[in-house]
Amino acid sequence: MPNPLKPDRSVVTTCAYCGVGCGFKADTRNGRIVRMIPWKEGKANHGHSCIKGRFAYDYYNHPDRVRTPMIRASIDEPWKPVSWDDAFAHAAKEFKRIQAKYGGKSVGAVSSSRCTNEEIFLVQKFARAVLGNNNIDNCARICHSPTQFGLSATVGWGAASQNFDSILQSDVIMVVGANPTEGHPVFGSMMKRRIRQGAKLIVIDPRRTETVKSPHCKATIHLAIRPGTNVAILDSIAHVVAREKLYDEAFVRARCEWREFEHWLGLVGSDRYAPEVVGPTAGVEPQDIRAAARLYASGPRSAIYYGLGVTEHSQGSTGVMCLGNLALSCGMLGREGVGVNPLRGQGNVQGGSCLGSWPHVFSGYRFVTDPETRASFEHEWGVTLDPEPGLRLPNMLDAAVAGSFKGMYVMGEDPAQSDPNQNHVTAALKNMECVVLHDLFLNETSKYAHVFLPGSSSLEKDGTFTNAERRVSRVRKVVEPLAGYEDWEITVKLMNAMGYPVSYAGPGEILDEIARLTPTYRGMSFDLIDRIGSVQWPCDENAPEGTEVLHRERFPRANGLGAFMLTEYVPTTERTSDQYPLLLTTGRILTQYNVGTQTRRTANSMWHPEDVLEISAEDAASRAVKDGDWVKITSRFGQTELRARISERVNPGVVYTTFHHAKSKANVVTSDLSDWATNCPEYKVTAVDVMRVSAPAARGAVEAEKPSTGVPAKELEPAE
Amino acid sequence: MTALAQHRSQSLDVMALDRIVVMANQIGDFFEPYPPERRAEGIRNHLRTYWDPRMRAELLAHIAAGGSGLAPHVIEGAMLLIDESHEQRGYYGPPKA
Repeated sequence: MPNPLKPDRSVVTTCAYCGVGCGFKADTRNGRIVRMIPWKEGKANHGHSCIKGRFAYDYYNHPDRVRTPMIRASIDEPWKPVSWDDAFAHAAKEFKRIQAKYGGKSVGAVSSSRCTNEEIFLVQKFARAVLGNNNIDNCARICHSPTQFGLSATVGWGAASQNFDSILQSDVIMVVGANPTEGHPVFGSMMKRRIRQGAKLIVIDPRRTETVKSPHCKATIHLAIRPGTNVAILDSIAHVVAREKLYDEAFVRARCEWREFEHWLGLVGSDRYAPEVVGPTAGVEPQDIRAAARLYASGPRSAIYYGLGVTEHSQGSTGVMCLGNLALSCGMLGREGVGVNPLRGQGNVQGGSCLGSWPHVFSGYRFVTDPETRASFEHEWGVTLDPEPGLRLPNMLDAAVAGSFKGMYVMGEDPAQSDPNQNHVTAALKNMECVVLHDLFLNETSKYAHVFLPGSSSLEKDGTFTNAERRVSRVRKVVEPLAGYEDWEITVKLMNAMGYPVSYAGPGEILDEIARLTPTYRGMSFDLIDRIGSVQWPCDENAPEGTEVLHRERFPRANGLGAFMLTEYVPTTERTSDQYPLLLTTGRILTQYNVGTQTRRTANSMWHPEDVLEISAEDAASRAVKDGDWVKITSRFGQTELRARISERVNPGVVYTTFHHAKSKANVVTSDLSDWATNCPEYKVTAVDVMRVSAPAARGAVEAEKPSTGVPAKELEPAE
Repeated sequence: MTALAQHRSQSLDVMALDRIVVMANQIGDFFEPYPPERRAEGIRNHLRTYWDPRMRAELLAHIAAGGSGLAPHVIEGAMLLIDESHEQRGYYGPPKA
């Protein structure tokens, strides 16, 4: 008998899960994927993979995949399957009607980090050139927008300074608000390898994560801070650097703005940031803060890796600035083994940031208010562009609630599940007259959509992804798109239906357009990537094959110097009270990905059938909660129910959950507070109370979500 | 106050005013430690670069109506939006050295 798993074809492509962006060989037989093999030549993963990328690919042909476009006049009506042409015509007619009635700025678009660079670029072109406004945002708004802001302000570019391999030369690794062994497993393994070789590890995280202690991984210092005290603790570390003169004066004098450094010394050197003052507020021993500062500053090569535990706060951008300041002060930039590196949650968050899916900047982080930049796009696109910044995604939702925003094109996003304060988001979506949803599945947002355009998974299209180390890799079509079109083709057809004539022979031509318009991508092309495997931006005439380590000689700021920001700690207004005495924070688990739309539709669900609430033994005892009991979690914004797990990973006063299952409704309880600079939501701090309940009332008799193994799983989606 | 009155008439109430006030004060909190001139410029530049013009108009209309709930230095910074001499192109974020 012939081997049914023997492939007849193999395509090298890039994993679409986390921001590591592993290279894979997708093996197919008779047009179906039979296995995903980590690619030996992949420069991000060097032949390694995790349980998601390796095994969780079956979602692509799951029976829940929508294969036909659908429309409906109101969200109370059932969906009506229609032809592609009818769907485009209907969407175009609606957008035009809304703009005629409510004004040009009453509509907008949102793109996703699950889409390719080419698609993200097209969606912002759709908003700017076709809708004629800058109401364009992407899902990095709700995760890493503070990275762009905070790193741009200090070191010039909102991107990782290093390549992943750089960590193999680090002596001290500082992980802040991230859990790479779960969230970025292949990078996490590389970090563990370096720790086994003797590198010291500092972890700043409210929770005793797997990165703090697990096989091959043990933190030298763990600062288990209270959620919301990042900036205080980082300023306190800086205080020790300042007062004990641990900074690298030669580096600062040569590479930074000295006067700004002196201002910064004045602020962080103040007594109010002494470890003995901050320690009790943050729930950390003062001597541990001092030890962390001394260890980081001593290096000689210290690297910072951070995640959403830094950014998703009301002071998210300030927290990122703290990290930039710290690295600049200790001279930990511009060489191997050092740096400040955001770990990106989704496969193409860096690309989403780079390619202008923002209301205030074009691709390459250049302002819409800048006439020269705008002129280059006007020349290429043949239209006059809006010179004013547009609405950010949370602003669009606020405006929709107020009645001034009426229509939206959403590609690959699920705001109804993933955005904070779910009741507010739902009210906003219900207030819109036309929501065009372009996705693989009927997700939570589809309940409020009027047009559904069935998209293609990353296994069904061509393009590029930019991973967390700025590495641009090819996404290659492995199987034919289930619904007939690759995503970029769908956006082009929508643009055409709106009356904007544009055509591309393939996504390679879109990348060529990006390269023409974007200095940091100037040298990129499918040809170059096919030839050398992958390319890290900046890629131009000075770096024809890309750049591994940034900031070697100068910082990409006007004067070439690093800048110190004044990072005063401002406590969030989301505080505990008698009514809501606990702080809820959130995170991820190895086997599942983000809101689970893909991984829940694979056998990976066997490992994580439901989200649970981790609670300390003390807090559980005072509420008569036993391990495995159902509990109700209540905040000022809403309530949800989860099963409790008594855990030593969280301190008393803190509870924790993951958000991989729609049923868990974690975002029903999260607050509407957001980062001061970017409106990135404050997911990581919500004051809650926890109460034991006898049965999960909201879910009837359903005990827990059944794991799906590819069989039709009605109980999986929609969520209720 | 004629310039302010003009902004008031342009206001479209793009979103709930309390959101506008909370966000503006948050921006003010960040720039608080800067010396007065840079603080005002920083607030002005942030609003100019990141806020939709209708959000700015709503803020200025609220200031024209007394600006209740806004920190004084936020009002000071926002008022620079009206003075064209502060208009500069493509400016990113916090105050330059």
